[in-house]
Amino acid sequence: MKIICNLAGITDYNRPVQGVTDIKNSGFEYVFIDLKHIYQKGMEENLKDFSDACRVLISKCHEADVCVGVFRSPKLIDHKKEIGLFEFQQRLAEESIKISSEAKCKYVVVPPITSSLNSANQWELNREYYTKLIPIAKEKNVIILLENQYSNYNGRIIRGICSDEKETSDWIDKLNEIAGEERFGICMNTGTCNLCGQNMQDYAVTLNNRIKVVILRDGYGRDDVSMLPFTAVNHRQSQTDWLSLIRGLREISFNGGLILDIEDTAAAFSPMLRPQLLSLAKATAEYLSWQIRIEEQLKKYKSIVLFGAGNMCRNYMKCYGEKYPPKFTCDNNPKLWGTNFCGLEVKAPEELKSIPSDWGIFICNIYYREIEKQLRDLGVKNSIEFFNDEYLPSYYFNRLERM
Amino acid sequence: MMNIYRPIILIGWKGCDFMLQIGVQTKNIVNDSNPEEGFQLMKESGFTCGDFSLNSYLLNTSLYKFELNDFFNKSDRELEDFFTPHKEGAKAAGITINQMHMPYPVYVPNGSKELNDYLLNNVAPKSMRICKFMECPNIVVHGLKLARNLGSEEEEWKYTERFLDSITPLAKEMKITICIENIYSSIGGHIVEGPCSNARKTVERIDRFNDKYGAEILGFCFDTGHANLLGIDFEDFITTLGSRLKVLHIHDNDGIGDLHQLPFTFTKNRENKASTDWDGFIRGLKKIKYNKVLNFETAPVLSSFPEEMKATVLKFIADIGKYFSKKIES
Repeated sequence: MKIICNLAGITDYNRPVQGVTDIKNSGFEYVFIDLKHIYQKGMEENLKDFSDACRVLISKCHEADVCVGVFRSPKLIDHKKEIGLFEFQQRLAEESIKISSEAKCKYVVVPPITSSLNSANQWELNREYYTKLIPIAKEKNVIILLENQYSNYNGRIIRGICSDEKETSDWIDKLNEIAGEERFGICMNTGTCNLCGQNMQDYAVTLNNRIKVVILRDGYGRDDVSMLPFTAVNHRQSQTDWLSLIRGLREISFNGGLILDIEDTAAAFSPMLRPQLLSLAKATAEYLSWQIRIEEQLKKYKSIVLFGAGNMCRNYMKCYGEKYPPKFTCDNNPKLWGTNFCGLEVKAPEELKSIPSDWGIFICNIYYREIEKQLRDLGVKNSIEFFNDEYLPSYYFNRLERM
Repeated sequence: MMNIYRPIILIGWKGCDFMLQIGVQTKNIVNDSNPEEGFQLMKESGFTCGDFSLNSYLLNTSLYKFELNDFFNKSDRELEDFFTPHKEGAKAAGITINQMHMPYPVYVPNGSKELNDYLLNNVAPKSMRICKFMECPNIVVHGLKLARNLGSEEEEWKYTERFLDSITPLAKEMKITICIENIYSSIGGHIVEGPCSNARKTVERIDRFNDKYGAEILGFCFDTGHANLLGIDFEDFITTLGSRLKVLHIHDNDGIGDLHQLPFTFTKNRENKASTDWDGFIRGLKKIKYNKVLNFETAPVLSSFPEEMKATVLKFIADIGKYFSKKIES
């Protein structure tokens, strides 16, 4: 799974070297560039200025050994001049596709256009808009991604175009039919889903393999902000439904790009702390990617054993026990040795010293690092993995209280 | 057996020839000590229908704390005796009980088996029988909130359907329409979709359910406040529901909390236009030719205004209903 960092909030577009270098040094290899940050008023007279400015930014990225994973075409808003606006919007989208191709980037997000004058027929408007982009997208071999939007009703954020998963699926299928090949997909923006409390699992499952990239961003669900995942919290709980997202992406075996958008968090942090923030951001994106692909860890081993005979072990057995049955489990509590827990024999940790070398050990206890050290100190040489039950496919209704 | 379905009577109002009936929930208006007084106040304020707040006898806030009271320990006969003054009071005042809210939740996710058995096997059927006793044609129920535990909204619906199956024989026998309502869940205090928030899925399920029973047992209660919390397009939701929409819970909020306030209360920008799409609500009802009751679920408005202003506030709520009616019928 490709992890991509949004430049916004981290990089000064006129002087991008430091920001791009910070991103690279944090371990990211790909960036996401929203070209609206390059576009300036007046450029409509000469789009060459826009393209040149884009090329300068791309070259700085390449100099820092960072590739552009996804572009987003600028979305302009000016209801008064809607007709001319749409034409210009299309020219910008075409230019973005060309730039994307030059940068050897496969995906460009082209947000749908919204007419305030003809709200009843948004599909017809967008069908025409995207259809006109097909020849250039084919020529440049770029995939166009639609993106879910929100709308504004007298200051209140409501669901916008492409927020309905069924309708969006239909749009993409029809556009691909017009193109005669798979030329369109969707960029699922989690922050936008969160603004209107959407069921992200349903969204992901319905759109399925039409989803090519997912934008990960947190927020309080009130304003359109992009925060580092797990930072929009209330009383020790995240305000974004990550469980629903992870379940959905797992269900469709998502393996596309994950764009980490932390624009507001990054901009609010002191530039002095950005390198450290970016390291945390990278780790956070890796964690979410790991959660989505959690089964891949289990598939790696010929056989597995667990460590822990508590709730996490019980949860493992409920969700994965049948598909990836462990040989046994271990626990530090001598009273449990020799007993059976959720169909597994509970053994002493010392037993792990004598298991075959190609068996994996999965720690089912939140004291991961402490237990890992214990096992290494014991002389265990096998691979040790951490299992996690924060985002499981299902849960028991009650927790065991015997521990 | 007496047929408790009654046709909606269209009453003349000001400039328009007919108007839809206007209803309001009885909580904070009708008291057990003198129910008729509350129903009279409703009538004087301009309402012709009542939404009987049966849920106020077993509060959700208590149930989520695993607390039960003994109200539903009463026998059917005792419950009928208890609600006889309410029934007679409504009749005397000329108020039709058009809908009733069953206590909820009917299943507490971490509750004991005893608690959940009690809710499913005692509270739910007794609610149905009270509904019949009150000659009320619609009962509003909540779907079970179990998606987190079960893994998906689809699995959750299976449990809701099992619950609906359990009360359907009574509903069929008593000619009561069970109205499933769009509700929400909360993640760290942030509102997210709950059961029946997806109109397309809900419509398919209602149709499938009714086909299974060969009767129109299941309908829908559209809650404007809950939809607003989720930024849902009212017009699209209502038109997707079409004739399956049987009753309404009309109320407003700031898009953040489920405040149950008066429509047109909240604004978000300097133009100070209502931030809830009431025009979309009207368009939707107009499109589907809604001819049932415009019912307000606005009990918190009555507790926030001073007691001395209750009659004035109620009249204002009824006037908002008349405004909606006029727009829908125009």
